[in-house]
Amino acid sequence: MNSTNYDACPECDLLLRSAQPKIGEKAHCPRCGLLLSRPRKQSVERTFALSIAGFILVFPANLLPMVGITILGNVNTGILLSGVVALFNEGMVAVAIVVFLASILFPLVHISLSLLISGHLYFNRHNRFLVGWMHWMHHLDEWVMLEVYMLGIIVACVKLMALAPLKFGWGLYAFIALIIITTMLTSGLDTGLFWQRIEQLTKENNHDS
Amino acid sequence: MTAKANALAQGFIRCHDCGYLVKTVDHPPSCPRCDSHLHARRPHSLQRTTALLFSSFFLYIPANIFPIMTVNQFGTGEPNTIAGGIIELIDSGMLPIGLLVLVASILVPSSKLIGIGLLLLCAHFRWQINARRWTVMYRVIAFVGRWSMLDIFMISILVDLVNFGAVQIIAGPAATAFASVVILTMFAAENFDPRLLWDNQKNL
Ligand SMILES: [Zn+2]
Ligand SMILES: [Zn+2]
Repeated sequence: MNSTNYDACPECDLLLRSAQPKIGEKAHCPRCGLLLSRPRKQSVERTFALSIAGFILVFPANLLPMVGITILGNVNTGILLSGVVALFNEGMVAVAIVVFLASILFPLVHISLSLLISGHLYFNRHNRFLVGWMHWMHHLDEWVMLEVYMLGIIVACVKLMALAPLKFGWGLYAFIALIIITTMLTSGLDTGLFWQRIEQLTKENNHDS
Repeated sequence: MTAKANALAQGFIRCHDCGYLVKTVDHPPSCPRCDSHLHARRPHSLQRTTALLFSSFFLYIPANIFPIMTVNQFGTGEPNTIAGGIIELIDSGMLPIGLLVLVASILVPSSKLIGIGLLLLCAHFRWQINARRWTVMYRVIAFVGRWSMLDIFMISILVDLVNFGAVQIIAGPAATAFASVVILTMFAAENFDPRLLWDNQKNL
């Protein structure tokens, strides 16, 4: 048996004949029902384009004011980082670090990695860090919590509406756009294809040198 | 003892990171494609998951007892626990949002603690179960975990925005405990290997 003709289900370990579903089709594990692969049209090109858009959006989403509140004539506006700083100043260091990582640093690193990887694949360039970047991106996936943060904003706004008038800034709109982009990015990224392309590039590179 | 259809029983190990299938007879120390360590099953899956589960269980108690935030209005402080915040939302007519927070901060963490506990017992005592149904349960647990961070993000926004001389919101000690519970249970779910459930099934 040649191992390349086979696959194993990551969650039930069923040995499967490698399924190559057509674009737009899905392959599920027949035993546990896990979605094994869902190839997308031009996954590399799509990921590259979305990563550029996302990388650009990170900056307005982080730097422009998101929500403003007026109480007794005083205006207070918040950006992503100011929530972290406020927690830090109150001595909630651990919570501040968690919020910083999940809402600022990890999303930035994640989008940069996906930009680097898809850029290299798009231009057919080999890089010895490609494998490491893939590992990091895979591990960070779960810890990028922009959508959860968005729900946090909604609940906070509902609570504050009763208290005082709110004003929404461009930072919030950029943030929503960034969430849409990252969701499209992660759902359209064909990990299997990316690994195959990286393997191919590595082989070609070893051949040349 | 492994079920016959399993890749491991037929001499294959799947790379945890890139999905590459490796023959066990070749005894490669690491994955030929991505160079990560090869493990047939997640190493020390049950021990690690148990340790993480117990830590999160103990932190879950202070997370619910202590105030998660305090609203200071004109000199008088009003501490709010997780449950108190939800009741307040529902009382002020925000039923859908109140229910959302109820699901994210109470139902999800508590059912996660119970669910991971059941998965551990099932894998340890080799219960004969409908493995497909239990795998789906695992998948749901692994998916919903991160949504509990909602409360923590909401507090960071409230603490930042409501910071006027007379009116102020301050985060409480339960916030640290609650954030730890969410993170530890996420790690616990990540360390649990659902393939153990399938390995134990005698009739597959
Ligand atoms: Zn399966
Ligand atoms: Zn690998």
